[in-house]
Amino acid sequence: MNLSRRSLLLGAVQGAGLLLLSGCEKAFNSLQQNRKFLSLLESAEGANQHLQRLLTGKNKLAQEFTEQDISRYFKPNGNPPPITMDYTADAAKQWPAWRLEISGSVKQPARFSLPELRSMPSRTQITRHDCVEGWSAIAKWKGVPLTEIMQRVQPTPEAKYAVFHCMDTDDSGAHYYESIDFLDAHHPQTILAYEMNDRALPIEHGAPLRLRIETQLGYKHAKYIRKIDFVASYENIAAGKGGYWEDQGYEWYAGI
Amino acid sequence: MTNLVYRHNPITRTTHWLNALALVILVMSGFQIFNAHPHLYWGSTSEPDQAFLSIAAANDDGEVRGFFRIYGWQFDTTGVLGVQNTEMGPAPRAFPSWLTIPGYFWLAGGRRWHFFFAWIFALNGLLYVIYNIANGHMRKFLFTAKDAARMPAMALYYFRIRKASPQEGEYNPLQKMAYTSVFFALTPLIILSGMAMSPQLNTAFHWLPAMFGGRQSARSIHFILTFLFVGFTFGHVFMVLMTGVLNNMRSIVTGWYKEKGSDFPEPVWLQGFKEEMIQKPARVSVSHQLPAPEPEEIGPAQKTHQGRADAPQQDSGIPKSATNDAQISPENSQQTLPIHKNEAKKDIVE
Repeated sequence: MNLSRRSLLLGAVQGAGLLLLSGCEKAFNSLQQNRKFLSLLESAEGANQHLQRLLTGKNKLAQEFTEQDISRYFKPNGNPPPITMDYTADAAKQWPAWRLEISGSVKQPARFSLPELRSMPSRTQITRHDCVEGWSAIAKWKGVPLTEIMQRVQPTPEAKYAVFHCMDTDDSGAHYYESIDFLDAHHPQTILAYEMNDRALPIEHGAPLRLRIETQLGYKHAKYIRKIDFVASYENIAAGKGGYWEDQGYEWYAGI
Repeated sequence: MTNLVYRHNPITRTTHWLNALALVILVMSGFQIFNAHPHLYWGSTSEPDQAFLSIAAANDDGEVRGFFRIYGWQFDTTGVLGVQNTEMGPAPRAFPSWLTIPGYFWLAGGRRWHFFFAWIFALNGLLYVIYNIANGHMRKFLFTAKDAARMPAMALYYFRIRKASPQEGEYNPLQKMAYTSVFFALTPLIILSGMAMSPQLNTAFHWLPAMFGGRQSARSIHFILTFLFVGFTFGHVFMVLMTGVLNNMRSIVTGWYKEKGSDFPEPVWLQGFKEEMIQKPARVSVSHQLPAPEPEEIGPAQKTHQGRADAPQQDSGIPKSATNDAQISPENSQQTLPIHKNEAKKDIVE
C-alpha cells in the first residue's frame, strides 16, 4: 500500500514537472520575443563592457603561445568564401587587382595594394582564437597593425569606429561587416593579417586580408576585407547594430 | 501547540528565491550555449578528435541516433540527449528544447539570458554573503576542522546506523560542509571559470584561464561545476521534502518555522522513519553530563519553548534556536533535552 502511494506520488510529481517544463519553455520563448524584456537582458552587455574594460585597463596583451601550441585543425567558420568571378580570378593571380580602401572620416583617404601592406611594419603573434560557439584554436598570424594604417590616413576627431566591409555574403546576399571602437583599434595586437602559420592567408580563413582583434570573440575578426570606413556612428549601416551577427542579436561587445 | 521561531531574515529569504530563479535560468541558458558546440576538452584549444565528452548525433544506417560519449564510453540517448524527437521528426540537439532557454536553437538568445542572470546571481550572492557575515549568521554554518571530524558520525546518523546526532549548534557538520563549500568554493569557482572564457579579461589576467589549465579546461570545469550545483539543489530539495516540506517552505517564505510537532500532514511513508527518531534520544550535544530524562517529559520543555515564542516580538530579527538558548544558559539544557521530537526534526532540517 505504501509502495502504491509512493508510485502515485512520484507519478504526480513527474507529470506536474513535465507540464511545468513545457509551460516554462513557452514562457521563456515568448519572453525571448518580448522587446522590452529583451532590452532588459541586453542591458548586461554595457555592464560587461564597462566592468571588463575597467578591470583589464588599456592595451594589455592577450597571451601569446609557442609554435608547438599551434592547432592542427582550425575551423573555417562563417560564410563560404566569395564566389564572384572577380574574387576567384584575383585570388588565382595572388591579388593584383585587390585594394584595401580606406574611407570615411579620415584626412587622407587611401587605397593600399597587398605588396604595399606587406611593406609596412608588421606584427607576428601566435594567439588563441575563441569562437562564440565555444571552441578555441591557436594559430600564428602576421599582418600590419591597424594603428599603422590609422597613422597614414589620420581619422578625424569625429571618427569613433572602424567599420570593416567584407566581400563574403550569406545566402540572402547580405555582406558581412564588423565594427570596433578606437580602444580596440589602437590595441597593439589588433592587426590586419595577410599570413597564417607562415603562409599567405588561405581562402577559407579570409584571403587576402582579415582582422585579428585578440580582445574579442571570433565573429569580430572580419574576413575578406575590402574597405575600412572610419565613422562617427554605425547606426546607418545595414540593420544598425554594428555588425553582421550583431544585426541578428549577438552582442556588439564580444569580449565575453 | 504552536511554537514559531523566526528563522530566516528578509534578506536571506529574498536572496534565496532570487538565487533559485537565477540558477535555473543560468543552467538552462548554459545548456543552450553548450548546444552550439556540444563537446568538451582539456587544455587551451579544442582539437576535434580530443574531445573527452560529446553529446551529439550520428547517422546510424540512415537513422539519426543521439549519443552521450565520455572518454570513449558511448551511450545511446536518442530522444533526450543528442537527438530530440519533434513534430517534424528527429532533430539533432545536444540538450532537448525543454531544458534550454530559449526553447529553440538560438545561441545569441541563450547568451543574453546567461549574462544578464550571471549579474543577478553574482550581485544577489554578494548581498547575501555580506549581510549574513555582518549579522553573524554566516558563522553558524562555517565548516571547521571540528566539523570535519564529526562528518563520519553525522553520515552514520543520517543513514540511521548511529542513534545519536553529533550536531552542535543550528547546523550539523554535513550541512556546514555543504553550505560552506557551495558559498566559498563552488560559487567563486563557477564565476572564475566563466570569466576565464572571456578574451577581454584574458588579456590582463593570463592566470585566469591558466588556473584551470587553459580556456577549454575552464569551459569544461564550468560545465562540470554546473552539475555540482544541480546535485546540491536536488539534495537540498530532497532534504526539504524529507523534514516537513510545508514547515520548511513556510520558514523560507515567511521566515517563521514551527519548532514543535507539526499540524501539517506528512506522507505515510515518512512516519516509520520519524517514529524511530522520536522514540530514541537523538542528541548528545549540550547535555552529555546530564542524565537523559524520559522523552515523555515534555512539560518543562514547553515552558522553554513558550519562552522562545517571544522571539518574534524581538526587533533584532536574528534567528533564535533551541540549541543556542541551551548553550547560553546551561540550566535550561535539562529542559530542552527531552524534546527529542523537535530535535530529531531540527537535525536534518534545511
